Amino acid sequence: MFKYILKRLLNLLPVLIGITLLVFTLLHLIPGDPAVVLLGEIATPEQIESLRQQLGLNQPLPIQYFHFLFNVIRFDFGKSIISGIPIIDEITTRWPATFELSVAAMLIALILGIPAGIFAAVRKNSWLDNLLMSSSLIGVSLPVYWLGLLLIYLFAVNLQWLPPSGRISVDVGFNFKPITGFFVLDSLLKLDIKTSQDVLSHLILPAITLGTIPLAIIARITRSAMLEVLSQDYIRTARAKGVPEYFVILKHGLKNAFLPINTTIGLQFGTLLGGAILTETIFSWPGIGSWIYEGILARDYPVVQGGVIFVSVTFVLINLLVDLSYTFLDPRIQYK
Amino acid sequence: MIDYKRRRLFFLGAVCAIALLLNNCKSAPNSDRTTTTTSPTNQQVLVYGSGGSPVNLEPGNITDGNSLIVQQQIYDRLLEFKPGTTDLQPSLATSWSVSADGKTWTFKLRPGVKFHDGTNFDAQAVKFNVERWWDAKNPNGYRNAGKSYEIWQQIFGGFKGDPNSLLQNFVVVDKSTVQFVLKQPFAAFPAAIGSGFFGIASPTAIKKAGANYGTPNALAVGTGPFIFKEWRTGDRVTLAKNPNYWQKGLPKTNQLVIRFVNDPAARLAQLRAGQIDFTVDLAPDQIKEIQSDPNLVAVPRPSFNVGYLALNTSYKPLADVRVRQAIDLAINKQQIVQAFWGDLGETSPHFIPSILSWAQSKNLTKTAPNPQKAKELLTQAGYPNGFDLELWYMPVSRPYFPTPKPIAEAFAADLSAIGIRVKLNTKDWAAYIADRKKSPGFQAFMLGWTADYGDPDSFYYPHFGPGGTVDIGNWKNDQVIQLLNQGRATGNQAARGKIYAQIDEILHQEAVRLPIVHSQPLLTKRKNIEGWIPSPLGSENFTRIEKK
Repeated sequence: MFKYILKRLLNLLPVLIGITLLVFTLLHLIPGDPAVVLLGEIATPEQIESLRQQLGLNQPLPIQYFHFLFNVIRFDFGKSIISGIPIIDEITTRWPATFELSVAAMLIALILGIPAGIFAAVRKNSWLDNLLMSSSLIGVSLPVYWLGLLLIYLFAVNLQWLPPSGRISVDVGFNFKPITGFFVLDSLLKLDIKTSQDVLSHLILPAITLGTIPLAIIARITRSAMLEVLSQDYIRTARAKGVPEYFVILKHGLKNAFLPINTTIGLQFGTLLGGAILTETIFSWPGIGSWIYEGILARDYPVVQGGVIFVSVTFVLINLLVDLSYTFLDPRIQYK
Repeated sequence: MIDYKRRRLFFLGAVCAIALLLNNCKSAPNSDRTTTTTSPTNQQVLVYGSGGSPVNLEPGNITDGNSLIVQQQIYDRLLEFKPGTTDLQPSLATSWSVSADGKTWTFKLRPGVKFHDGTNFDAQAVKFNVERWWDAKNPNGYRNAGKSYEIWQQIFGGFKGDPNSLLQNFVVVDKSTVQFVLKQPFAAFPAAIGSGFFGIASPTAIKKAGANYGTPNALAVGTGPFIFKEWRTGDRVTLAKNPNYWQKGLPKTNQLVIRFVNDPAARLAQLRAGQIDFTVDLAPDQIKEIQSDPNLVAVPRPSFNVGYLALNTSYKPLADVRVRQAIDLAINKQQIVQAFWGDLGETSPHFIPSILSWAQSKNLTKTAPNPQKAKELLTQAGYPNGFDLELWYMPVSRPYFPTPKPIAEAFAADLSAIGIRVKLNTKDWAAYIADRKKSPGFQAFMLGWTADYGDPDSFYYPHFGPGGTVDIGNWKNDQVIQLLNQGRATGNQAARGKIYAQIDEILHQEAVRLPIVHSQPLLTKRKNIEGWIPSPLGSENFTRIEKK
């Protein structure tokens, strides 16, 4: 097992080099550069050229790439060209926000998605199945921007039950000094119930918005995986033996159907951790997605490069964890 | 079986725990709303919804509005603008004067002012700040760390040693007097040095923070009404009242929180939910929603911008002034402005907005569109059947063109009536602003400008002065250049008004950048916010704003 993990981690290296090369090339293929963005509409070509020289953008691309790669090896992702903030500082501040939101969204997706899929499979072709599957189809198709604003207007502006955006209220935030950057965890560590409530209430709307699509996907995958398993002979045998129906469904059915569901969860979670640009923008959530997006608009090369590498590593590692979890879910699987 | 019962009990228990923790969810945002208005500590907390995060808090090293508005609160400049106007008034300088030749500007500094770190503001502090902007070799400028201070170059021609640099020398006369010695007269110099870019920062703080000065984990120290407390990346900047502010009784609020909310729809939702108190740069079509909410008040910012359609003279049909005039006559500007800006836009024949009416020509009046005359002009120019025109529209929304594509479609419809067949085009914003300057550039394109300082020079010089016409085929008019230099050299406003009126008339005749609109950016506040007077220049300090 240890050997397998090591092998997978070593495999990460060519993937990462591939990613850096791809990101670097694509980014430099897009017309426009940071000097133009920094100087604005009125700058003269001479001013742009002088700034490009200062930023090192006039060097040949391969030299720029190797310079960047050399620094990455030393875990030096550089500084934002636009703001001067070290990339590593931005990632350590923003990633907890993205992680917290992704976990909350995933919890919603799992708590609602898996039972919905099971019910739909068990009551196949019933009105409940039709209702759940049509809802999940709507869930997959909902534009995130529209759903987010709808939730804000309903629950924050009209009903005033929940805050419309941000991670923490202004008054609560004055005295709150985060320890880890994961606000829910920090407030619980400090046994600060008021802050915990405030932070959780801020999580609800963005988590619902972000969790809707994974919820719908997980519900649909669960349904189809369960349908396949429930038609197996051993299920019929279990029923014939008089095992209670819910036991048949959960123990014999769900456990065996869980491999494809688990793969989907891993992929969805990896995607969520990459940052959700729209959700983060609508809810002013200071996460990694909106940061990379702003970096792309401003042609802030170090931000995009550093951000994408970080997201890619996270994605690959999550998938490694998913692969490893197969042995626990199905003891017949062994890694060599 | 027992195993399952236990699990169910555990699940129920977990659900109950979460429910208990959240049982106050309903009151959480309300408490946010009410505590900010009723609890004694938060009574004077003001929350401003900014259109995005500042780039940095270092004066002279930014050009974006989100950074400027935060810097306005932390720093003072030598001069400032009277609230709601472009008229200058004393700030860190108590008085200013110019020598007879118009080249030496002397500023008397305010005594007894201290930076937030307790160090003294004096002539040496001004020198420290000016030299790091102006002198590319100054070690305190940290240019080797990528800092560029390009706005200095854009406004004052160049850095130290550059033949185009307007500044020749900076002199500390005594502890409270400084002099800027220019190579040529520049009447708008006080307005330029008083613009929001050039706040005076503490030399001690800059030396302490080094190249990190003004970034989230470092310092930002000025003499301004608010003291920098905290910058949470991607979320907010928190500032506290400067108890020793030199303007007694100001600021009126104890805490100022600047939250970054990029999306205008999300900003308005937060304002309506009471999470922010006032905000800027909403879209003109949001006015109906604002008016329908009794808790909100729309506050238009006086216009200090121009949205224009540029015609590139390096393309054959547009090289003929009659063709350009025909396009000007064909576009129904009044109707377009009414449709896309409503009451928040004004159409006029002038390139500069009406707040600078002293520099506008009285001979130019709004003219109705005249397709018939436009067609005659095209015929005279040799294009009786029109021609193909590639018109570029911006891919982003700006106050001067909030919805560029539909506006471009309206232009195309008007132009098709005189036989000009328009092909609309766009590209990514960074490429758009760069490629229009690459020869031969775009044939016709939409763009706009919000001036840097309160003077007509800030509109005309960057667009029609030396090097400013690359994007319109290096169009050049010697008389305009001569008048622009005269405008810079003349001190008397009445005399300058006549000079700029002539420029106004020539540009109207030449029709290379057709002014379409001077728009008022849409700002909104909650009803209980008082004392906010938006500056036409795009950012103002919040010293007089309070929550009632």
